[in-house]
Amino acid sequence: MSHLGIAWERLRRSRRATAGLVLLGLVALPGVFAELCASSAPLVAWDGAHLTVLPAVTGARAPEAPLVALHAPVRFGPEDTSPAGPLAPPSGAHPLGTDAKGRDLFARLVYGARTALGLSLFAVALGIVLGALLGGLAGYFRGFWNERLVRLVETVETFPAIVVVALVRAIEQKPSALSLVIAVALVRWAEVARLVREEVLRASVEGYVLGARALGASPLRILVRHIAPNAVGPLLVSSVFGVASVVLLETAVSFLGMGGELAAASWGETLAEGARTPSAPALVVLPGALLALVLIGSYLIADALRDALDPKAVRRRPDHGADGAPLSLLREPPAP
Amino acid sequence: MTRAGPMLGHALRRLLWTIPALFAISVVTFLFLSFVPDPTDDPRFAKGLDGATLEEARRGRFLDLPRFFNGAPEDVRSRVERAVHQLSEGDEAAAMGASTLARLGGAALPYVLPELDAIAPEPRLRVALALAPVARRMGLPDAEDAANPAKTVAFWARYADERGTLLRPAEVRTAVARLARYRTASRLAEVVELDTFALEEVMRALVLPRTAEDVHQARVLVAVLAHATQRRDLVDPDGTVEEARGAVLRWRRYWRVHRTDFVALTGTTRVTAVISETRYGKWAEGLLTERLGRTASGRTVAGELLGRAPTTLAIVGGAIFLAYGLAIPVGAIAALHRNRRIDLALALVVLVAYVVPTAVLAVFVTALVAPDGSLLAPTLVLATGLVASPTRAQRSALLDVLGQDYVRTALAKGAGRYRVVFRHALRNALAPVVTLAALEPPMALGGAFVVEQVFGLHGLGEATMIAVEARDIAWLMALSLFAAGAAALFVVATDLAYATLDPRLARLALGAPRR
Repeated sequence: MSHLGIAWERLRRSRRATAGLVLLGLVALPGVFAELCASSAPLVAWDGAHLTVLPAVTGARAPEAPLVALHAPVRFGPEDTSPAGPLAPPSGAHPLGTDAKGRDLFARLVYGARTALGLSLFAVALGIVLGALLGGLAGYFRGFWNERLVRLVETVETFPAIVVVALVRAIEQKPSALSLVIAVALVRWAEVARLVREEVLRASVEGYVLGARALGASPLRILVRHIAPNAVGPLLVSSVFGVASVVLLETAVSFLGMGGELAAASWGETLAEGARTPSAPALVVLPGALLALVLIGSYLIADALRDALDPKAVRRRPDHGADGAPLSLLREPPAP
Repeated sequence: MTRAGPMLGHALRRLLWTIPALFAISVVTFLFLSFVPDPTDDPRFAKGLDGATLEEARRGRFLDLPRFFNGAPEDVRSRVERAVHQLSEGDEAAAMGASTLARLGGAALPYVLPELDAIAPEPRLRVALALAPVARRMGLPDAEDAANPAKTVAFWARYADERGTLLRPAEVRTAVARLARYRTASRLAEVVELDTFALEEVMRALVLPRTAEDVHQARVLVAVLAHATQRRDLVDPDGTVEEARGAVLRWRRYWRVHRTDFVALTGTTRVTAVISETRYGKWAEGLLTERLGRTASGRTVAGELLGRAPTTLAIVGGAIFLAYGLAIPVGAIAALHRNRRIDLALALVVLVAYVVPTAVLAVFVTALVAPDGSLLAPTLVLATGLVASPTRAQRSALLDVLGQDYVRTALAKGAGRYRVVFRHALRNALAPVVTLAALEPPMALGGAFVVEQVFGLHGLGEATMIAVEARDIAWLMALSLFAAGAAALFVVATDLAYATLDPRLARLALGAPRR
């Protein structure tokens, strides 16, 4: 069984990974199916002749006076202001009440989850593509570009992401989610490149690479088939943490209101509203709790991943602790 | 003792390396920020202004210059040539050419007068007439002749014969030096007669006033500048030294923008102008001469940085220091009690600290304790979120080290558990934590901005938000360089810490070939 196969087996049995996945799913699923949770348009409407399904997603016009209509649990979109007014308490129409601008809080949070997670997934994925490409090539082809890349990675990695976001936001006329993705990816790739390069450097002196070369494999094949799989583990762990840290960054950026209001709903904006209105702690607690769910979920998953991928844990010796520490250190010394 | 030498050398080498890195960052950031929409591009702004004012506003922001490379830098000679050309065309561009010539003034004369004979009579008359305001400004005898179409060409020919020799750098230098020393009316008239040709010398003679005597001198020199450029910004003779300094600084700024109107680029200055007469060149010049440039609100960037950076640095540095100071012993204790109740409890506490978002914690802390400008609470709030990763790293690094033989040896010799950990093992398990610390400040900065905002502190975050709103390039450039420079210093510091911790690694960390 391959290394990754073993890791996968372990991950499936890990209670931490399951718990983390459940917690992340609690946030991510409503975000993915946000239109089913909160929308002013009906989910399904029938006006006697036409059947309209999910007009909020397809962009079709909902019939004016449908005979039968099935609505989402919350009948307000994230941008709709409610007749209940700002800071309304929880009610049947608004399960969590409304925010400081009179919009449904539940809808804001659900669509905010979509913004936060979608954005960070995109940014991390883009960072992985860029970083893996550069890091892999530099690690394999060494020499001049390797040195340059090390310097570049060092510089980029120590450059604060929030400053990059500030620069990007200063350029745009209207803040957009895409620019945030690009800004974050511009910083994130460096960490990926560093990890990949380290793994490639480590792996390329191993015997199996020499063996593959002796058997006549092309450099590209060696890189892709034999070396790259080594980098998958560390990359996965760093990416899971990366998603969490980008979610935090996105929240910080919209909390600070950098460069005007973003079109999409965001937890950070709700948090900032809550910070301004001390009478409504829900505006701070609820997005904060969702953030905490994301953080704890990704922490658990990354933790489980790290353990599952740890090659040392495979060669466990019976007379030692898992990490090879003498047992005498780990237990209380026997009483004299 | 033997280690101090290479370590110092390494630190110096790394610090020297940051210079090209910072230069590269400044170029990339500048290129990036050159796409910032300028306020003068805003139609609402442009609507209220006529073409010339808008042109002047754009010029004041160096938007007429290329970004990094100026293949054909403009100077007084090329401007004169264009103006004369416009005048000889004789259409609506002629008015523009005439006003340009009048503005360029005395500095244009060495290039116009020799050409006068070479051009056709009709355009020659127009050019000569266009110079009439200059003659008046210079206070030449019979200056009204210059405005008289019948006499003007002869007037300028006579001027070239009789006084053309005055327009020489050496003459100008002595005239300005005499004016600066004696400040009499006749000396003033002498320099005024040179008009804009004397500006470069006057600017050179114009020192930043420190004493009442300097103010006096500045008043006279500024009067010459104001007369020649028709720009009313004088030094009040009864004003304070501070006011005089302000006026001199404003004139220096004016000179940075308009220097090439009055100075010919020759020889080396022409070569350097390829770089210096660009937007980047002007920015770099401002960096060096204007205390890192000016923010949109008119304050110097250096002043703003000095006022604000200590707050942010104190929060970030203090939080990292606190978090790591706590994480190292906590991680060690957790490692010692691996998988026992203490370990789990500590893991839980650390996880909770990691999971509570900084913004939420900050809001609750401000609700409990009203912010009073003290940095303690913000630092603690920021530190809370930073404890988790070093604790984990410390715990696993220590667990690795505890399996090694020298630990076993120490135990066998009868050392206590805590002594083994804190005296023998910990030092070797610190390296991964130090590596982690090197990457911490840039990540903590975002959190610091949030904390600053919640606690209402006047740090870098506030200024950056304002700068993004105002599209303030000077501040954003300075912030990028500051962040990169601070991060580089921190990396050097962690490298040194690395070498101190592990003498075996010192050679690797300090030596040039890094693999």
